[in-house]
Amino acid sequence: MNEPTKTQPRIGVYICHCGTNIAGVVDCKAVAETAAQYPNVVVSRDYKYMCSDPGQALIQQDIKEHKLDRIVVSSCSPLLHEHTFRGACEKGGLNPYCFQMVNIREHDSWVHEKGAAATDKAKDLTRAAVSRVAHHKPLETKTTPIHPDVMIVGGGIAGIQAALTLANAGQHVYLVEREPTIGGYMAKFDKTFPTLDCAACILTPKMSAVGAHPNITLWTYSEVAKVDGFVGNYKVVVKRKPRYIIEDLCVGCNECVTACVFKEGKFEDEFNMGLSKRKPVYMPFPQATPPIVLIDPETCINVKTGKCKKTCVEACGDRQAIDFTQKAEMKEVQVGTIILATGFQPFDAKRIPQYGYGIYPNVYTSLEIERLVNASGPTEGHVVLRDGKTKPKSVGIVHCVGSRDNKTHRWCSRVCCMYSMKLAHLIKHHTDAEVFNFYIDIRAPGKGYEEFYEKLQEEGVHFIRGRVAEVTDWQMSKEEEGKLVIRVEDTLAGFVRRIPVDMVVLAVGLEPHADSQDVRRQFNISCSTEGWFLERHPKLAPVNTFTDGIFIAGACQGPKDIPDTVAQAGAAAAEALSLIKAGSIELEPNTAFVVAEECSGCKTCIPMCPYTAISRDDVKKVAVINEALCKGCGTCVAACPSGAIKQNLFDDDEITSEIEAILAK
Amino acid sequence: MAIKQTIKYDSERDKSFPQEIMSRPGCEKLYGCIQCGTCSATCPVSTYMDYTPRQLMALTRAGFKKEALGSLTIWLCASCYACTVECPKEIKITDIMYALKRQAIQEGIYPKRFPIPVLAREFYNMVRSKGRVTENFLAVMMFLKSNPIAAIKTWKLGLNLMRTGRFAYKLDSMKQPAKMATLLDKADTGWKGGAR
Repeated sequence: MNEPTKTQPRIGVYICHCGTNIAGVVDCKAVAETAAQYPNVVVSRDYKYMCSDPGQALIQQDIKEHKLDRIVVSSCSPLLHEHTFRGACEKGGLNPYCFQMVNIREHDSWVHEKGAAATDKAKDLTRAAVSRVAHHKPLETKTTPIHPDVMIVGGGIAGIQAALTLANAGQHVYLVEREPTIGGYMAKFDKTFPTLDCAACILTPKMSAVGAHPNITLWTYSEVAKVDGFVGNYKVVVKRKPRYIIEDLCVGCNECVTACVFKEGKFEDEFNMGLSKRKPVYMPFPQATPPIVLIDPETCINVKTGKCKKTCVEACGDRQAIDFTQKAEMKEVQVGTIILATGFQPFDAKRIPQYGYGIYPNVYTSLEIERLVNASGPTEGHVVLRDGKTKPKSVGIVHCVGSRDNKTHRWCSRVCCMYSMKLAHLIKHHTDAEVFNFYIDIRAPGKGYEEFYEKLQEEGVHFIRGRVAEVTDWQMSKEEEGKLVIRVEDTLAGFVRRIPVDMVVLAVGLEPHADSQDVRRQFNISCSTEGWFLERHPKLAPVNTFTDGIFIAGACQGPKDIPDTVAQAGAAAAEALSLIKAGSIELEPNTAFVVAEECSGCKTCIPMCPYTAISRDDVKKVAVINEALCKGCGTCVAACPSGAIKQNLFDDDEITSEIEAILAK
Repeated sequence: MAIKQTIKYDSERDKSFPQEIMSRPGCEKLYGCIQCGTCSATCPVSTYMDYTPRQLMALTRAGFKKEALGSLTIWLCASCYACTVECPKEIKITDIMYALKRQAIQEGIYPKRFPIPVLAREFYNMVRSKGRVTENFLAVMMFLKSNPIAAIKTWKLGLNLMRTGRFAYKLDSMKQPAKMATLLDKADTGWKGGAR
């Protein structure tokens, strides 16, 4: 191994063309020629693709031939190839940290115009790196073990799929769900496009598999309260909200529901989108998992006032599953990886008042229609108007409600065209009504999707290309009496039409959860400007995040349908599994350390550390940093009043020499 | 019924026309139009238009200048701004309508006796010469230059206005009307010069 010497470093500089990505803007040859003149540079070359095998071999060969002890590569972002080049250094017999990478693509050629200025910038950046790398010290890569347990947040189809995949592979999974049951939105759907198989028939077997799996700890009606730690060693605190039912004792017989002092349901049933009423004690839906009831503290007389006959407790009898003294419980668990599958929320149709939702009773959202056409829904599958008996003779489905609109959400929600067509088919099938779809563009890019569109057209469903301007009950003619009128331009025919219908369905789009920013902060991941969780790379790392060990799956990353969600959940499970099976992960040795002789023991650094990695040795009266916990954020280094804390790869002489060189002309 | 050729050839396009319109303030987003038709369906006067506002956007950005400027739609636009409020792509359709109207007036291709461009021209002339507008004079000028017979039909309204003292017998004017002309001329040269 070539031992780096502080007195006379021997540096090799490599300027990558990246095809024309860099060379198209920066004169790479000139940069290499100039770099050859920098102090301590022994070899300076430019090459078409440094990341290619011949490119890497070039570095290895030069290390041997010219006895190089430090390497600088000016190419793309270290995010992409730092690992590659460190590996090349190691293969050449050099400590991988005697290497510095310069980004002259994202930071230069991609953001500047061709010319001398861009080339000068590449020279400056390279000069700074050459100056810096001379101070690099050989470091040991540290590894950290990966705890084999996984936490999955969100029990929709994404969370269910990921949980089952991991549990079947033998990993222990904690599945945390905010609602009283898992299943998510898919449990509310009637059929699924384009195959029209019943959503419950394909989902509920998976739900009960989750409930029964020995490797899955299912915590419903629970929320993550706190997340600490780092990849492989996360400590998560979960708040289990009181459901006033002892889970292990309840058998889901529903006798307490029957016995409740409320003879009829009186409160909005969340599962049926408020289309039916429930009691304070209720089972969300017959196939709920876990199959147990809960008591809603907002509406239960006993929880609110303590003055109730407690007929439910009587009905429960010897099982004694009802416990009104239950309090919120905090559970702390250790996991190695976390999968976020927190999903989406439907767009609030009231935000577009001209569509009349909440104003005209017969304007529905698509989710309400899902419940109406469902045989286990509030009307047992009869599609009727709000009066509860009239079958609609004509129905208008308005696409893109809260999508493709700069004033609400700019994105296409991807699923609305398809589910609107599915609902059109179901409504037609249930009522034989005339169904109109009002669309801007039909987006049916999936296996069997376009064929489904064709099938709908053949069924005689009307497709009118035009975004609806308004839904109104203002009637202009006899044909419109007692109807809702949709005003729209039939853009393919080229004129404006007024279309009277009995029922309007608003195909609401998908949006990030209202609290997605809080969740993002809690797990220390990023969001796109819209609020969707940000993947590490849009194409090549779609389920990874910028925080190691935290993965995302399903609609929390962006609108997607069930097949895509399931595929992504599988991918996230596989990524987690790959970390677990590796057993440990290499971490950057960029940790901070205390120079004990210089530490005054003032304790300034201790409360600053976001990872609680610093403690005080009370015998020696100095601060001590736990290397395993340090994430190398540098906060303590900057905070130390006596300059006693230093950080690997960010030593003062490394940083100052870099700055001096970049400023020197 | 005579059969007419409706096909359009590329030579009929004015390729600089969309850029010309988009260079006017407020018209920048024309290319962002997704042809959804919200503007047309929102428009309270689209009932009478030859081209719907959506079609006008398509004609303009494709460069069919003759069709766009010759359309009745731009003169029927009541400037209620409903389309601009509702457009999902935040295109200022009313502003584009104004840009088209201005262009049509400049190029002299507007329906000659159609009341709206006549009114616009007379309004401008009156403001330029007097600095103020006297409404019944303006109405009379508009009728005379567009449809004098219609003026006679409104005699009763005129009589009522006279009886209630709402009819001006003299053109109102500001104290130094010449200054208004200087101002407008300056604005005009600024507009025709480098401002584009």
